Amino acid sequence: NDLDLNPLAEGSSENWYSNEVEIEMALKDLYRDIFWPMDSEDWTDDYTYRETNSSIVNGTLNGQDGSVTSLWTNQYKAIARANTILANMEKAASKGINQSRIDLYIAEASFMRACMYARLVSHFGDVVYLTEVVDIETAFTIGRTPKADIIKATYADFDKAAAGLPVKYSGGSQRATKGAALALKARFALYNGDWSVAADAAKACMDLNVYKLHSNYTKLFLTTTRNSEESIFVIPRSITNKVTIGNGTVLNTVSRNPGGWAAMDPSWDLLAAYTCTDGKPIDESPLFNPHEPFKNRDPRCNATIVEFGSRHLGFVYDPHPDALEVLNYNTGKMQKNNDNRANAQYASFNALIWKKGVDESWLENGKDADPDKIIIRYADVLLMYAEAKIELNQIDESVLDAINRVRSRAYGVDKAAVNDYPAVTNQGQASLRKILRTERRMEFAKEGLRYMDLVRWRLATKALTNKSYGILYPAALLREKVTSKGLWFWPVTPKLDEDGIPDFSEMENAGQITVLSKRNWDDRQYLWPIPTKEVLINDNLSQNPGY
Amino acid sequence: MENAEGITIPLAKVTLAEAIKKIEAASDYTFFYDAIKTNLRQQVTLKADNQKIEDVLNVLLKTTDLQYKITDHQIALIPRDNFKSTQSKKKITGVVVDETGIPVIGANVVEAGTTNGTITDLEGKFSLDVPLNADLLLTYVGYVSANLKVGSADHYNVQLALDSQGLDEVIVVGYGTVKKKDLTGAVASLQGDLLSSRKTTQLSAALQGAVAGVLVTRDNSAPGATAGSIKIRGVTTIGDSSPLVIVDGVPGDINQVNPNDVENMSVLKDAASASIYGSRAAAGVILITTKRASENDLTLGYNFEYGWEIPTKQPEYVGIQRFLEMTNELRYNDNNAGGMYQTYSQDQVENWVKYNATDPNNYPITDWTDLILKSSAPRQTHSLNIAGGSKSVRTKASVTYDKTDGLYADRYYERFMTRVNNDFKINNYLGATLDFNFKRSKSHQPVFDPINRMRIAAPVYAAVWDDGRMAEGKSGSNPYAIMENGGSKDSWYNQIGGKASIDFTPIEGLKISGIVAPIYNFDKIKSFSLAAAYTLANDPNTIGGYYEGHSTTKLTEDRNDSYNVTTQFIATYLKTLGKHDLNVMLGYENYFQYNETLFASRDQYELTNYPYLDLGPLSLRDNGGSAYETAYRSMFGRIMYSYANKYLLQANIRYDGSSRFHKDYRWGSFPSFSAGWVVSEESFMKDADLNWLSFAKLRASWGTLGNERIGNYPYQATIAFSNALFYQNGIAVSELTAAQQQYAIQNISWETTESLDLGMDLSFLDNRLRFTGDYYHKTTKDMLLALEIPDYVGFDNPDKNTGKMSTNGYELEAGWNDKAGDFSYSVSVNFSDFLSEMGDLGGTQFIGDQVKMKGSQFNEWYGYISEGLFQSQEDLNNSAKINNNVKVGDVKYKDISGPDGVPDGKISSEYDRVLLGGSLPRYMFGGNVSAKYKGFDFSMAFQGVGSQLVRLNSMMIEPLSENWGNIPSILDGNYWSSLKSEAENAKARYPRLTRSNISSNQAMSDFWLFNGRYVRLKNLTLGYTLPLSLTNKVSIDKIRIYASANDLFCLSKFPKGWDPEMGSSSYPITTSLLLGVSVNF
Repeated sequence: NDLDLNPLAEGSSENWYSNEVEIEMALKDLYRDIFWPMDSEDWTDDYTYRETNSSIVNGTLNGQDGSVTSLWTNQYKAIARANTILANMEKAASKGINQSRIDLYIAEASFMRACMYARLVSHFGDVVYLTEVVDIETAFTIGRTPKADIIKATYADFDKAAAGLPVKYSGGSQRATKGAALALKARFALYNGDWSVAADAAKACMDLNVYKLHSNYTKLFLTTTRNSEESIFVIPRSITNKVTIGNGTVLNTVSRNPGGWAAMDPSWDLLAAYTCTDGKPIDESPLFNPHEPFKNRDPRCNATIVEFGSRHLGFVYDPHPDALEVLNYNTGKMQKNNDNRANAQYASFNALIWKKGVDESWLENGKDADPDKIIIRYADVLLMYAEAKIELNQIDESVLDAINRVRSRAYGVDKAAVNDYPAVTNQGQASLRKILRTERRMEFAKEGLRYMDLVRWRLATKALTNKSYGILYPAALLREKVTSKGLWFWPVTPKLDEDGIPDFSEMENAGQITVLSKRNWDDRQYLWPIPTKEVLINDNLSQNPGY
Repeated sequence: MENAEGITIPLAKVTLAEAIKKIEAASDYTFFYDAIKTNLRQQVTLKADNQKIEDVLNVLLKTTDLQYKITDHQIALIPRDNFKSTQSKKKITGVVVDETGIPVIGANVVEAGTTNGTITDLEGKFSLDVPLNADLLLTYVGYVSANLKVGSADHYNVQLALDSQGLDEVIVVGYGTVKKKDLTGAVASLQGDLLSSRKTTQLSAALQGAVAGVLVTRDNSAPGATAGSIKIRGVTTIGDSSPLVIVDGVPGDINQVNPNDVENMSVLKDAASASIYGSRAAAGVILITTKRASENDLTLGYNFEYGWEIPTKQPEYVGIQRFLEMTNELRYNDNNAGGMYQTYSQDQVENWVKYNATDPNNYPITDWTDLILKSSAPRQTHSLNIAGGSKSVRTKASVTYDKTDGLYADRYYERFMTRVNNDFKINNYLGATLDFNFKRSKSHQPVFDPINRMRIAAPVYAAVWDDGRMAEGKSGSNPYAIMENGGSKDSWYNQIGGKASIDFTPIEGLKISGIVAPIYNFDKIKSFSLAAAYTLANDPNTIGGYYEGHSTTKLTEDRNDSYNVTTQFIATYLKTLGKHDLNVMLGYENYFQYNETLFASRDQYELTNYPYLDLGPLSLRDNGGSAYETAYRSMFGRIMYSYANKYLLQANIRYDGSSRFHKDYRWGSFPSFSAGWVVSEESFMKDADLNWLSFAKLRASWGTLGNERIGNYPYQATIAFSNALFYQNGIAVSELTAAQQQYAIQNISWETTESLDLGMDLSFLDNRLRFTGDYYHKTTKDMLLALEIPDYVGFDNPDKNTGKMSTNGYELEAGWNDKAGDFSYSVSVNFSDFLSEMGDLGGTQFIGDQVKMKGSQFNEWYGYISEGLFQSQEDLNNSAKINNNVKVGDVKYKDISGPDGVPDGKISSEYDRVLLGGSLPRYMFGGNVSAKYKGFDFSMAFQGVGSQLVRLNSMMIEPLSENWGNIPSILDGNYWSSLKSEAENAKARYPRLTRSNISSNQAMSDFWLFNGRYVRLKNLTLGYTLPLSLTNKVSIDKIRIYASANDLFCLSKFPKGWDPEMGSSSYPITTSLLLGVSVNF
């Protein structure tokens, strides 16, 4: 028999990248779900998981943490693959591939590389910067490149991508576009505080005139809305093609009556953050009633968190300790209410559950779901534009217009219908900054953006060192201290500070609520630790301060 | 040569022993004599010129005091003076059989102290005239001699025990055999019955503790479980350290051989012995020879065993009361603001047990282990052996059926095995063998393995509602219900193997063999995972939800199909010239293997009783497949030379090519040399007349071995395929994607292990006491290592020839056997140790809590140094901490260094972790004791590890695993607690109860290491063979009944309830109790 055996089920790298099909297959690899991680909600104050915290909120993050190592490893895998494609373009040209195709491939690979470095720099600061595949000996001689240099190079990659990528794909697979390059460049610039770069990129994206806000905020996140006109860059999911959010995520989100666990829930901090319909924070608005916290709120509140007494997944959702039975819409009968800690000890510990993106399709397919993974959407571009301009103190009508377009959509009205929603007016830089930050929190809850917002606003120091609260347990105690006195849901209105961080201490001191956990953020985490293994095997690689 | 043509041997002055050898070689006569009383070294004249045997013998024995007696083709040499007749004789008859009841043909039966004797015939029978009360001595080569006291009876049945330690024992070595006394390498040999007496279903498991230097580990006793790993002389390489297994000369799998079919097993430990298998022998070689029939065999044996598997120890957890209290304490520790009753209210804590009596649905108390684990599971084995042999055809066949039930639900393992070995003698020049074996095993088990969850689940969750319905458990995690209702998985494994060889003997001493041996595997796995819902406690008609992982019904089918073919041509030539013995072997071997896998599935079945693919929805089907192949080609040769049985030399070389390397780096040659010196054969030793010393040999060997087990195409940077989704016309479509995932190094080639062995074999007191000792040193160079490369390179760690490691070790084996009257007994013990140290690897490899780096041991523990627990706030304030969440009662770590090389006031994973000691076992030992008295036999085997640093893993000591789990009993009373006094806390063994800082407390440090040494009684067997006088009446040769127990007890320092060998989430280790009967016709 022959000893010259070649892989049977794999290709050979020796002669790959020699035709369009092979190059495109290599480019498409970079769209895999694994290369597009989202920052997790459980690293933020929008989230609660019973009495536990993530390692970031606990302040115990180190270079061995799975979040750290997987982000690092996967982004660099994608970078190496993008670099390999770029390195093979000359060969491709020599094989007779049309230069216009090659330019397109270069633009697409540059886009991918830029996105990967943007995420690395945002989390780690200075990282190793490679634009070509290096051999192992060389790799060990490399150290970290100053962040400023990588930022510059990454802007250039985004620019190259924006210049070369199409605005739209007329047919075939929808891949990275010019708009995506501009939008993600804006995001990266915003994270770096390069306000004019951010404003320009966002403006350029807006000027493409190909994106618009989806008419219905609630429906935008459901599986019935896919790749909408608002989506700029999405990673599709599909049950039949086995890319889903996973049964565990669904069960931890879905309420208990329809068969979920509802263990991972929105925090009270988030509920307190939504303004009232007058545009004012709850501690300033006369419209807010702590006993009916869902009334008179910005519509995104009820679109994000399930309102008590509303229909949700075939049941009335009611965590009130006396609501021992609730209506099952499927049977039309009252049924034991398992979304209530009086009946079910492990029902939501703070009585809140997620609504955003959740619909009855989540109960199908063995409780799995496949909504789009929206990497960036147009509302973000508008608010990024507004934020950058506010920070530049170039506040003009375009800034107010950008915010109001987002806000009026949430209210389901036209931007011009200023009587039907609390339109934002020019109140000066400081005030607008606060409004914009609240707007972002309301608009993007549960979309993986809060973590970087907390980091870049340096708000984690405050928002992640307070406490996570829940309702009293057991039910007898809750009845005694709260409900029997007519104090459900919140006995009083929590105070919000200038950054919108709520203060529940009055209720805590009165013994009316319970502390689920103490958040314990450590400021060293504004920059993540470089993975321990990388530091240990390479003397040229330094660790971030504080670890 | 045909007897009728006469015997021709050139004239020579030789010793009697050599003369016997020459006559045996030149004729088909065999000699028998009393080895102790016959002077084999006396010089005789041997000359034959086409003469009859009688004439040859007359010349030969003229100068001696011997005379001969010819019976059939057997020549007995008897001293002349013993032909005197004595008075008052009687004629007795008898039958001599071996341990399995097979007649011993040609055994010497001699009246002690006389020359009066005879030899047994083809049926093992003898008759002899002897004086009353005479003592008879029965001897046969390879057997322990027996005494027989002649009494009043006229007929005697004698059983001879195999002398497994005899120096004339033939040892199987690579591509041949050698007598034990002629061995120059380090080879351990085991008789098959020693392995089958261990009563394990899998052969690998029987090897544990049986051979010095062979480390067999396991972590469970699940039905059909095989040993987890087999390592010969420790670890040689970072890659695959499992030995090459050769079954009847061709590469195979140890677990595909029925333990009862094993004739013997050789373990080739040093390079000199193993290098004839150069390419893949770096980690040692295990040679298995299966039983074959001998001429004149005609037997049928049946064996039945029935037994029980009983779990040894199970981890213990705190009861309900302490669970409630400790959970609340833990929550309070993590969140003081939440108060003392965060998870369970005061009322619940105080009254849970009371409320349970009336309201078990809301106040459950579940003992998950008790509920899930049965107290025992039955097992049974039937086996049938048939052997028949004539001059031209010999056949040995066996059929075995095993069934072992599992300790939970309807789990079982079933196996059918058969093996038929045929030998043909076509004529004097041509012989052939044709072997065939088939195995089919089936394992049936729930899709869900409940063991891990059983150990984690807390008692506060209900497994069943009070009316008997399956309960919710913890939010649908109910291991009992999922095990019962979650569907089942069946796996069938079929193997068909065969071997055909033709042996051609053109001239005396030269044998040329051509062999072809294919092995085909067909695996089929069918996993039907059922949707399983629970109903509400108060409403049997309302579904509360689905059990974890069982929200849909899904069928997954796997088919694996593989085959390999070994082709060999081997020529051996033996030549004796005077005192020179020469043995030359040359060979060529080809090996090819091909594997292909296929899987298909469909999800969301509506019907739950049709486990077939067609019945699932089309839109949710999935399938996949893959394939790979490997090939080797080898040429090899060996020369063995001995002079006067005193000086032994051996040289081997093997030249190997592997498809796993690029063609420019493909071939490697692996030479070895070894020498032996039989000191006891030297005349000065003989002159010294050391009666107590029977045999002494010194051995030395040096050799090299190769290794290349690193994936199938490691030198090729392959393009791997995946899928990504894209919108096309608004629909998410999956498209094929491609990427190079591995950084390939084209010039990688063979890893080489060089090994030096010094050994000695000693026997004392008529071979009753035996001792073997070996010291070895192994160095592995150009180690094929997937070194950690910086992750920012963007590729998986590539295989590379880098690094060096060395291993020093020694092995000692000692045995004693003796008999007194009807009582015979033997004791053997083995002991070994090794230490592997990593040389310059050119990098580091991290494996969880362990590391390989320059100067470390192989897989050495790597972590923080602990300084006990923080006992005061002051201590905490003034110490370096791992993070700001650390509180009093947490583990305190030593600040060893920092980025600038000095302690930096912080505990960091980068600068404060150090080597903590080796993780591999040291001082391995094992032993056997056996005894026989009349019909009774007794044997015992034990095994253990003298020292091993073991980590208390999270399953042993973590409270509330996964945040809802149970609390191990060993914590209670032993953890740091704010509720305890300072004095009590000073003695605390475990840190405070916490979840928020659990990862810091459980980070790898010496805090969790302990000595996991153990000693275990592996097997205890008591048997009784019914007297032959009884069984012969019904034409049965032998009936033996026996009781056997495996893993009866174990001593260790492991936490209460943890077996030292049991994996934290694996099926328990079990004690087997067996009753058996074997009948031979």
